[in-house]
Amino acid sequence: MTRHTRILMSVIYWAFIVYLFVPLVLMVMMGFKDSKFIGFPIRGWTLEWYTGIFQDAEVLSVFAYSMTIAIASTALSLAIGTWVACFLGPNRFRGKLIVFALTCLPAVIPGIISAISLRIYARALDIEPGMLAIILGHTVHNVPFVALVVMARLATLPPSHIEAARDLGADSIVAFFRVTLPYLIPALVGAGIFCMLLSFDDFVRSFFLGSYEPTLPVLIFAMLRSGMSPEINAISAVVLVLTAVLGLWAERSMRRLNRGS
Amino acid sequence: MTQSEPKLAGVGAAGTAGGGRSLWGRLLTSEVYQALSAVLFKTQRRQFWLLASFPLFWVFFAHLGPILRMFWISFLDAYPPSVGQTPELTLANWTKFFEEAIFVMPYFRTLGFALVLTVSTLVITYPVAYFLAKHVRRNRQLLFLLILLIPFWVGEIVRTYAIMILLGNNGAVNLILKSLGLVDRPIPFMYTSFSLSVGIIYLTSLYMLLPLYSALEKIPNNYLEAAADLGAGSWTRFRRVTLPLSKEGIASGCTLVFLISTGYYATPVLLGGPSTTVFSETIAGFFYVAGDQWPVGAAFASIMLITTLSAAAIFLKLMGRSGPGMLR
Amino acid sequence: MTEAAAKTEVTAGETIVHLERITKRFGAVTAIDDLDMRIRAGEFITFLGPSGCGKSTTLRILGGFETPDEGRVVIDGEDVTARPPNRRDVNMVFQDYALFPHMSVARNIAFGLELKGRSKAEIVEQTDALLDFLQLTGLKDRMPDQLSGGQRQRVALARALAPDPKLLLLDEPLGALDAKLRGQVQVELKQIQKRTGKTFFFVTHDQEEALTMSDRIVVMNNGRVEQDGTPEELYFHPQSRFVAEFIGETNLIEGIARGGDNGSLVIDWNGVDLHGTVQGPMPDSGASVTAALRLESVVCHAAKPANGRALAGRVVSRIFKGSRTTLDIRIGEEDGAVVRAYMDAGEAEGIAQDQLWVSWDSSRLSVLRD
Repeated sequence: MTRHTRILMSVIYWAFIVYLFVPLVLMVMMGFKDSKFIGFPIRGWTLEWYTGIFQDAEVLSVFAYSMTIAIASTALSLAIGTWVACFLGPNRFRGKLIVFALTCLPAVIPGIISAISLRIYARALDIEPGMLAIILGHTVHNVPFVALVVMARLATLPPSHIEAARDLGADSIVAFFRVTLPYLIPALVGAGIFCMLLSFDDFVRSFFLGSYEPTLPVLIFAMLRSGMSPEINAISAVVLVLTAVLGLWAERSMRRLNRGS
Repeated sequence: MTQSEPKLAGVGAAGTAGGGRSLWGRLLTSEVYQALSAVLFKTQRRQFWLLASFPLFWVFFAHLGPILRMFWISFLDAYPPSVGQTPELTLANWTKFFEEAIFVMPYFRTLGFALVLTVSTLVITYPVAYFLAKHVRRNRQLLFLLILLIPFWVGEIVRTYAIMILLGNNGAVNLILKSLGLVDRPIPFMYTSFSLSVGIIYLTSLYMLLPLYSALEKIPNNYLEAAADLGAGSWTRFRRVTLPLSKEGIASGCTLVFLISTGYYATPVLLGGPSTTVFSETIAGFFYVAGDQWPVGAAFASIMLITTLSAAAIFLKLMGRSGPGMLR
Repeated sequence: MTEAAAKTEVTAGETIVHLERITKRFGAVTAIDDLDMRIRAGEFITFLGPSGCGKSTTLRILGGFETPDEGRVVIDGEDVTARPPNRRDVNMVFQDYALFPHMSVARNIAFGLELKGRSKAEIVEQTDALLDFLQLTGLKDRMPDQLSGGQRQRVALARALAPDPKLLLLDEPLGALDAKLRGQVQVELKQIQKRTGKTFFFVTHDQEEALTMSDRIVVMNNGRVEQDGTPEELYFHPQSRFVAEFIGETNLIEGIARGGDNGSLVIDWNGVDLHGTVQGPMPDSGASVTAALRLESVVCHAAKPANGRALAGRVVSRIFKGSRTTLDIRIGEEDGAVVRAYMDAGEAEGIAQDQLWVSWDSSRLSVLRD
């Protein structure tokens, strides 16, 4: 590789970083603008918008609603995804490829179609639009991610560990809880945080499966349709910080997982 | 070796009566559990089906079920059915798609967009991934990668909004252009296919970058050195060594970006305009407006699903990948 | 104090395990072919053979990890063929030790006792006794990844011994140790077996390991038993070509049977009459036979011995191996057969290159059945 291409590539890399970060930085900055009008230049600064949202009962209740959905769907996804992985990972059977493909299906379907089909399905199952429908919808969407992460971790568990537990008097269930599950913990922490992010940030499923009570992304969407305001910037910035922190934490626990085995 | 011998035997039943036993020990020695366990785990086959039952139920019921239900609805003449009426099967919902340009146009626009955006994303992120995998020192790669990941965790809506602020008439880009004296009046970036493209590339680029990076990172440096040793110039090295070896990453990255970019709904609504209506907006319209349009929406969604999945499958086939590598 | 310490219900020497005509197939491959074997209480029995010979499958059938296609497994009078591993009084030391990485040494050892529903006090007492016995007391609170290979092996052993099994299975547990440590651990393991009085079922492909520790060795090949006997029997009186070649280095002497009696056979070896011992049925006169002769059974003389029963030969090659030297000796004429012998390096120097005599005890010349 010649020096020129090398320099060119590093320029492209940093330009790409700028492309990724500048819009987000601008968004956070705009939340400090002392004006109702979104746009440059910024002449005065204020903390009002940020302090405002923490006093806004509606924003706080929507936040709590989104959080509840994220936690509940994450718990369900972890339980179901782990079960699916423990079945798919070690067992050999006919049709395994089909079951594996079906497991991944919700992760590869384009978002809008996923949302539409879940909306139709909720109707068919007599589930009213609202919290339960969103929780279940997010669970369906997140199970593939949990299953894949857990399967990858499970593949590194030596079969002799389970056999040793069985040998020492554990039946399959006890062996799972005493040996397999502790081994999976780092993967489950990582996958769990990732599920929280997916659920908390999800728009399209929450939008189609929700009732009049919006989740946070749905609220931001609705506010945006009636016009930009620094309040939206403040909400978005808080969401941004929160997701970045959670994401870094997930990344760290997944990395420890690679080192630990 | 004079230390005492362990008492390896002779504890027997007397010892089990004492308190302070662990939860698991108590569970395993309880008669009820033992009887239950004896029935549940009697044979390997029974154990397999116990383990298999729920996952199989889940993937068929919750993963495949919604899709099948959507297909089914798309063949009904009315849904939800009016009281006292049994819905009849019809192909009308499917044929409706071909009858009007306002349906066909967004469909082809979506596919065209997705195709162009996939290629653009590949071209933009390939050098980034290459730089990261081959020119950044290995112990710093994780840090560099992490920097790229942070915006990736932020949701669709927030990032779309960030692009709106960037490209608006009073946005940062126009501010810079104006202050440089390049334009007098702001360029209307927003609500065009340009703003939509910038937004979607912004959202999807990391789905391309990560597979590319992991493919490139796996190419041993000595392959390139060997090629250089044999007299290959840098372009030849790239074309004959790097590109073929990163094929797998290109294939999965392109598939992901293609599938994901066709599925966005909020982004085209917020960043696009009347001239950039995409198919997901068309589909959503049938669910928004009136309930009795659901069968049409379902048919259109089915059309889109079949198109995108088969496009992805054909593409992967052409790239020479047969199945998910994880199962081997 | 060695015998009294550990008392199992079965008196030493009685059959504790009976593998009744076991057959196990994996697809088209027969891993074990009609194996019938009794294991006596308190013995250190080793299954020896190359990989794929069926030794590990036998071990896994005993542990309950595989079910035989035919035959029964009887442990202490009970048919356990269909019982899962958790419902057998058998414990195992795994090849990779399989220590639970999230539990301390003490917790690992206590695991089996805990699941048996023993009281806390009792678990602590037993665990401490085992830690002490295996000299692990100081490592009690360490995690498995903080232990050396040898320590891990001992923890695995302690964990398997804790539930007081009727039979202890050991699946090549020394394979992961370095060569120097292995010799030391072999001695330790044998001592532990003696002092606990436990029945050890050991599986290995390493013949030296088997010879060092076992009371009894079963050599397996292609799913069948080649030979079953004490280490000495196997070493000096191999019955088949496979055993002769698998264990140690050996001379294979090919000749024609010339009749004999009382388990002694005269072999015509290039015109020289040799006497060999026969374990099984006597070969027909005139049949071609092979006999095994250990290198160290060959005695070299610088001068023709007084009794005259020695063969003249000359050294064709000499390989110095430190404490010993290997000599290849051609017997008789230019086209004569070659016999290989071990000698003390010092003695070998005194042997002339072109003239020497070799002899051996005829009981050490073992006629093979194939």
